[in-house]
Amino acid sequence: MGVILKLSGADMLMRALHDEGVELIFGYPGGAALHIYDAIFRQDKIDHILVRHEQGATHAADGYARATGKPGVVLVTSGPGATNAITGIATAFMDSIPMVVISGQVASHLIGTDAFQETDMIGISRPVVKHSYTVFDAQDIPKIIKEAFYVATSGRPGPVVIDIPKDMTAPDKLYDYEYPEKANIRSYNPPIEPEQNQIERAVAAIISANKPVIYAGGGAIASNAFKELFELNEILDAPITNTLMGLGIYPATHKRFLGMLGMHGTYQANMAMHNADLIIAIGARFDDRITNNPSKFSPDAKIIHLDVDHSSVSKIIEADIAVFGQVKNSLEAIIKTLKNNLDDYDSKRLKPWHSQIAEWRSSHGLNYELYKDESDNNSILPQAVVQHVYNITKGEAYVTSDVGQHQMFAAQYYHFDKPRKWINSGGLGTMGFGLPAAMGVKFAFPNEEVVCITGEGSIQMCIQELSTCFQYNLPIKIININNEALGMVKQWQDMNYGGRHSESTYQNSLPDFIKLAESYGHVGIKIEKNSELKESLEKAFSMKDKLVFVDVYVDPSEHVYPMLVANDSLENMWLSKDKKT
Amino acid sequence: MIKRKLIMIMENKPGALVRVVGLFHQRGYNIETLHVDPVTDFSRYKFIEEKLETKFKENEISRLTITTFVSDSLMRQILRQLNKLIDVIAVSNEETTYLKGVLLDENLL
Ligand SMILES: Cc1ncc(C[n+]2csc(CCOP(=O)(O)OP(=O)(O)O)c2C)c(N)n1
Ligand SMILES: [Mg+2]
Repeated sequence: MGVILKLSGADMLMRALHDEGVELIFGYPGGAALHIYDAIFRQDKIDHILVRHEQGATHAADGYARATGKPGVVLVTSGPGATNAITGIATAFMDSIPMVVISGQVASHLIGTDAFQETDMIGISRPVVKHSYTVFDAQDIPKIIKEAFYVATSGRPGPVVIDIPKDMTAPDKLYDYEYPEKANIRSYNPPIEPEQNQIERAVAAIISANKPVIYAGGGAIASNAFKELFELNEILDAPITNTLMGLGIYPATHKRFLGMLGMHGTYQANMAMHNADLIIAIGARFDDRITNNPSKFSPDAKIIHLDVDHSSVSKIIEADIAVFGQVKNSLEAIIKTLKNNLDDYDSKRLKPWHSQIAEWRSSHGLNYELYKDESDNNSILPQAVVQHVYNITKGEAYVTSDVGQHQMFAAQYYHFDKPRKWINSGGLGTMGFGLPAAMGVKFAFPNEEVVCITGEGSIQMCIQELSTCFQYNLPIKIININNEALGMVKQWQDMNYGGRHSESTYQNSLPDFIKLAESYGHVGIKIEKNSELKESLEKAFSMKDKLVFVDVYVDPSEHVYPMLVANDSLENMWLSKDKKT
Repeated sequence: MIKRKLIMIMENKPGALVRVVGLFHQRGYNIETLHVDPVTDFSRYKFIEEKLETKFKENEISRLTITTFVSDSLMRQILRQLNKLIDVIAVSNEETTYLKGVLLDENLL
């Protein structure tokens, strides 16, 4: 600060991004963004990653954000560049991921004239952004950048779009550049510290509960509350479940961990939620994949709900005690108050509850007889693929995923002990997310193992990014769980539509993924037999410097279980094709 | 379902109104009537200026009135959703006012 520079709008933009701490931008050029691209060329502080499709840019920035906690940054051109980015923006919005998307726009004097590549980006993106800005005066660029990053990362995070008409970045107009130290938005004031009287009510409820369950979701990860949640449960000793978005916020290998809950949650997690007398919801929003039928949801439980977003609380399930604030701060406050009342808290009281849960776990827990027959007479089970990947990577990899059966198998069988390692599109459920997201993670952590567990349907939705992976030498491991079908669709058709597989198979039209990987400059490995599975996967992971595309043919008839019975309570689940609770 | 009146004080910025209207559409709420005016007499909103440590200037804020048919629980949800919009400074119905995340137990607008 202090020094005032004379810069063009485009140079101010790059300078402001650098002053904001941005190191990486994912993008794709085009007419309306060319002044900005020239400014990128003339600076050396920020790396630009050229993707192959704007959807890839948004997912890569999203993956980067989820893994690091820092906002992802995207740059696209107007019109088709902007519309191509929408799916990725919506994906980030649904999962509350901090992201700043800069879109070029036609020059101010052309706006509203149906100019070449003009599209109302602010209008199209409005329902899927936390906020958006149009630059009307280039002088505002530094202030808008400052505000955009503040909005994207604070409170409940989310994507912010900045639409910049081309004339705002013209090289011949210079402005005084100064980067503001703070964003000050008088009409935006997300809660941070909780109210102490709510904390006291929460602690009183905790102290008197006999069957408590902690239900933690993506908001706890966004708030970086791993340590606090762990510390709280060292005192409470309560059973704990995570949503699909929350996996890793509590160590999955901990004895108190119940596994994921909801649609494809474990038997013990769903049973515990249904029978609890107290649910402590932490950064989780009771969406329909969790509650199933809200009127039958957890009939006897009192609800404590910790969240930063007022509108998430009592939206679907009425909260008895609402604690607004950053989840991390709220947990700290609960711990502190609980510690002052420690004489009143006796975790031994939970013993019968724990034995009940142990019984549920042992009767229908996840690890049913997967390996009944691992001979080559049987096809490979998709669950076994994930288990092998888990073992080979010692449970320490970053795992991105797409959407479908493979995603659920990954969530169930890869046990995450740390947050920000499981990277998946939970809210929007975007097929095509996995590969570009893995790129974003690999850029952030080049020395870490990054695995994309995908399906042959999903991977084809952003397959073009294999070219980006080659350009930037990103040795990701892609595990394609190939059931030669849109497996999850097929499963629903099996269960609800009399097995009529309408448009969920491809009639032998899949590409040869091995040749495809090779043509992009990578290594492909095909696995078709149980006897090859372990060894071939080990071989793939031994190739440290290569992107390896592992195409594993699995049993196409396999379903994901448990699965909640539609529109019912959490205690009603399908446990296998012919067994219901 | 009864007819309700909502009042909002918001920044008079491009796109602010469409965000409010869009939110009604997006969440499936219906708008019966809508009226918007620039605020010229700030004396009624001194409490907002004090609370937000700001000073309103000419043409900076608008007052928006919407009537809608909704149930009680939905009303609260609408208030919270509106309050979440970055350009909305305060929003109230007959009984409550949300002033940037702070819930006040009366209609102050
Ligand atoms: C972009 C997009 N289109 C459609 C869907 C609906 N959908 C959900 S799962 C699925 C099948 C995915 O197939 P695949 O990637 O092969 O995974 P599998 O279920 O077979 O493991 C589809 C079509 C979606 N989630 N995203
Ligand atoms: Mg498939």
